[in-house]
Amino acid sequence: MSSSNTETATVDIVMPQMGVSVSEGTIVGWRKQVGDWVEYEEPVCDISTDKIDTELPSPAAGRLAEIAVDVGTTVEVGTLLARIATDARPGEPHASEHDGEREPSAPPTSEAAAATGETPAPSTDAPAPEPGVAAPDGDEGRARRRYSPVVMRMAAEHDVDLAQIRGTGRGGRVRKQDVLAHLEHGAAAAPAAPDPPLHIESPYRPEPAPAPRAAPDAPAPGPAPQPEARVATPVPTGHGEPLSRMRKSIGEHMKRSLELAAHCTTMVECDMSAAERRRALIGTTALPIVARCVVDALREFPALNAWLEGDTFTQHDGVHLGIAVSLGEDGLIVPVVRDAQDLSDEGLGRRIRELAQRARGRALTPDDVRGGTFTITNPGQFGAVAATPIISQPQVAILDLEAVVKRAVVITDADGNDAIAIRPMTMLCMSWDHRAIDGAYAARFLTAVRRRVESV
Amino acid sequence: MAAMTYLQAISDAMRQEMRQDERVLVMGEDIGVFGGAFKVTDGFLDEFGPSRVMDTPLAESGIIGSAIGAAVVGLRPIAEMQFADVITGGFDQHVSVAGKMYYRQGLPVNITVRLPSGGGFSGGPFHSSNPEAWFMHAPGLKVVAPSTAEDAKGLLIGAVRDHNPVVFLEHKHLYRRVKGDVPEGLYTTPFRARVAREGTDMTIVTYGAMVHTALEATEDLDGASVEVLDLRSLVPLDEEAILASVRKTSKVLVLDEANQTCAAGAQVAALIADRAFEDLDGPVRRVATPDVPIPFSPPLEQAVLPSVDRVKEAARELLEY
Repeated sequence: MSSSNTETATVDIVMPQMGVSVSEGTIVGWRKQVGDWVEYEEPVCDISTDKIDTELPSPAAGRLAEIAVDVGTTVEVGTLLARIATDARPGEPHASEHDGEREPSAPPTSEAAAATGETPAPSTDAPAPEPGVAAPDGDEGRARRRYSPVVMRMAAEHDVDLAQIRGTGRGGRVRKQDVLAHLEHGAAAAPAAPDPPLHIESPYRPEPAPAPRAAPDAPAPGPAPQPEARVATPVPTGHGEPLSRMRKSIGEHMKRSLELAAHCTTMVECDMSAAERRRALIGTTALPIVARCVVDALREFPALNAWLEGDTFTQHDGVHLGIAVSLGEDGLIVPVVRDAQDLSDEGLGRRIRELAQRARGRALTPDDVRGGTFTITNPGQFGAVAATPIISQPQVAILDLEAVVKRAVVITDADGNDAIAIRPMTMLCMSWDHRAIDGAYAARFLTAVRRRVESV
Repeated sequence: MAAMTYLQAISDAMRQEMRQDERVLVMGEDIGVFGGAFKVTDGFLDEFGPSRVMDTPLAESGIIGSAIGAAVVGLRPIAEMQFADVITGGFDQHVSVAGKMYYRQGLPVNITVRLPSGGGFSGGPFHSSNPEAWFMHAPGLKVVAPSTAEDAKGLLIGAVRDHNPVVFLEHKHLYRRVKGDVPEGLYTTPFRARVAREGTDMTIVTYGAMVHTALEATEDLDGASVEVLDLRSLVPLDEEAILASVRKTSKVLVLDEANQTCAAGAQVAALIADRAFEDLDGPVRRVATPDVPIPFSPPLEQAVLPSVDRVKEAARELLEY
């Protein structure tokens, strides 16, 4: 091991090619500082492309010698991000340090100090490199905690930030009980059913009793039951935080779509009895069953399986189905089931489940979220009965599945007799782009979906 | 309802089934004149006569082979192995002939082979084994193992009526220790698991005598709520009951009295890893007998068999995880 300043072995870290369609990436944060020891494949920084966040593993073990790109900077694929000095050893002074500006925290050799003419000042900025310990749980602390499968799943289902939970298991491990306690305390958490995105229970809750204060003869204008509170706090208090990148990205995309497309929403009511039976039979949620019907109907109405880009209208041969997956407070992401026409409802169920799991595990690649030709969103589990979703550009329509609610409906039997029956009903709400199609086409498409869903 | 020991319940099952179905017969070593090594068939010879209560030579291959032949011509024999261990002598007939007859020739083999199994009483290496896993691994056989008097009767009647060869594991240590209310008359217990005690913090999956060990070990375990699932049937294995319990508690201890490697509990653990991964909040832990013959010496035997203390310790560790 030479202490020479120039003859040092280094390995470059460059912005990687993540998926064929990615040309650039942004540094979200550095996990290592210059002078830190880095293990092979240990994450050195977080990068993001469009919607995908990922960590960048080190191509070699060594000491981080140089950081070339600052946080927040977007660079092209292949751009040098950092250099790793591979001739360093854990715990040793940083041999390849060649100027005095960035002092490693370990005391430099006397030659190095003499060469730069500086006295080795006590280190203030860089943390001491860990001597020889590969410690994967070392300095990252909480961020690198491991969670059991059930804890991860519950966190994803209830949008819980696990970093906020104090663990009571061995070594501070977060246990299922800790998540349950957290959910109970944060009573705001919806009592969501374990898995099914569509559910059969009525989402309606009894109306809360009207506030007795709001008497019509009250002299005060406006609903101000506690006037003294208004006096005490004329300005609402709170603390501001910048929007996350994902929120900003979603916001920009949605706003652009609203400006671009001529949004219309058409709704059709649909009896889910058959779908519920089918769902119980194949052991999925209702989503893949409806998705399969949508794919079939799109073959019949190809103008909805399309992109409208400027004046170019492209109808696609295959159905690449985007499925919106909620990432809790972080936002949502729409992974794409490619060639959905080749999959059965059971196959779709498996693909959707797998994509959703990867989405929640932040393990999607950029290619997983590109190229959708039609999108389904299904916030039905949260109990709403209708919505007007925003189209994902450049697609021309998005179908929204809402809660399945038991309703009294009029049915007609084979002999033409009418009767009132209790049926699980849902609303198929589709927003579509009037630039691409007209209302009759949308309605015919939705009734075609309904016909299929009601006879699966 | 009548209070009966586990052993009396087994006797009662056979006696009543023989009274109502003349195709049912019992055969085995010393089961007639002597009434059986454990007196399970005491009085049977007098009641049913030598054509239905047959003392056989000391040849397990012959016992099981004859039972298979009798079943093929329409009878419903119950063969007793004096100890579960000695079934090795009849293994070929049991696994290769009985287990595959229906597959090969379409002939149902309606036999029940009773295996007095298990240790805990200084029986030594030839009289203490729990060989159920061998038969779980052999296609064509069903395997049941009751833990209570009520289930012993119901599962045995179910085994006699089942058209498949059924291995019936009766735990010797429970014979006179376990007593309970047993319904009168004939009834069958489904080959499915039962929740021996409900709980929310952790599940112990087990069967046979270990059900009682599990219940005792977790009766008062620092206030923890421990579910005990009694499998009752190993083939078919009640997968849904296991998975439902895991979904509820997220922590599982699998308890076997059998030697650890490839025991019934290994199958349970594999099932959970495969199908309940996302419900787990800790590793699937196993407690079983190490892979050694059962020692004759009482302190050594107590050291190898899963004890209440060992189960307590493992349960505590998992609860704290």
